[in-house]
Amino acid sequence: MFEIESPVAGHVLMRGRLDAVQAPKAEAFLDAVKGEIVIDLSGLEYISSAGLGVLLRKHKQLSTKGGALQVVKVTPHISDIFKYSGFDRLFKIEKAS
Amino acid sequence: MIMKLKCARNIAELARIVAATHAFCEEQGVVNEIWPDVDFAIEELFVNMVKYNKDTVSEIEISMTTVPGGVSVTLIDHNVDRFDPRERAPVDVTLPAAQRKPGGLGVFLTLKLVDSFSYDYHDRTSTITFSKRREARDV
Repeated sequence: MFEIESPVAGHVLMRGRLDAVQAPKAEAFLDAVKGEIVIDLSGLEYISSAGLGVLLRKHKQLSTKGGALQVVKVTPHISDIFKYSGFDRLFKIEKAS
Repeated sequence: MIMKLKCARNIAELARIVAATHAFCEEQGVVNEIWPDVDFAIEELFVNMVKYNKDTVSEIEISMTTVPGGVSVTLIDHNVDRFDPRERAPVDVTLPAAQRKPGGLGVFLTLKLVDSFSYDYHDRTSTITFSKRREARDV
């Protein structure tokens, strides 16, 4: 199960498991979101390299306009994945409290 | 006790794989904290087999058994060329976003997350076995 929505402009919520099957859905959704965005990952249980690729692609899009992806409420497991992949050097990351 | 699964060469099988492996882990009392890393490794290895071994229609076999503090997982792919994931060039995770290219990160992270990893190739069959235990990661 994977869900993605934008209840407020510039704010995206992801929930469930972002794996290779769900990555195209996430990518299409994020491509349609214009401008700076904050992604709330509090409900994201799992991410694979396909999901990481989606986030990196969005970050690159924002970077070309001087922006940067911001992810918040990152759970410990996903925070570890970001750290090992070096994404913690690329994105603005806020861990879940 | 061993869990065995035969999977079609389609990433849509991931849902069935997760359901089967989680059911096994639940039944065997495998600690929850290692499940995401096990899921990650299985997905990356399975997807690699599906994506890069296009000249076969053989099912991919996945088996899981418990080991002290965790699980051991084996993926077997028949009628394929040799490909040891450990021989891939390492990914430079210090590169800025603009210089990062797709590919390789999943295997790189898998090798970071698992505790042991072996590759065997005989009679055009690739066999990968990894284990994941509760003990601290060496990363």
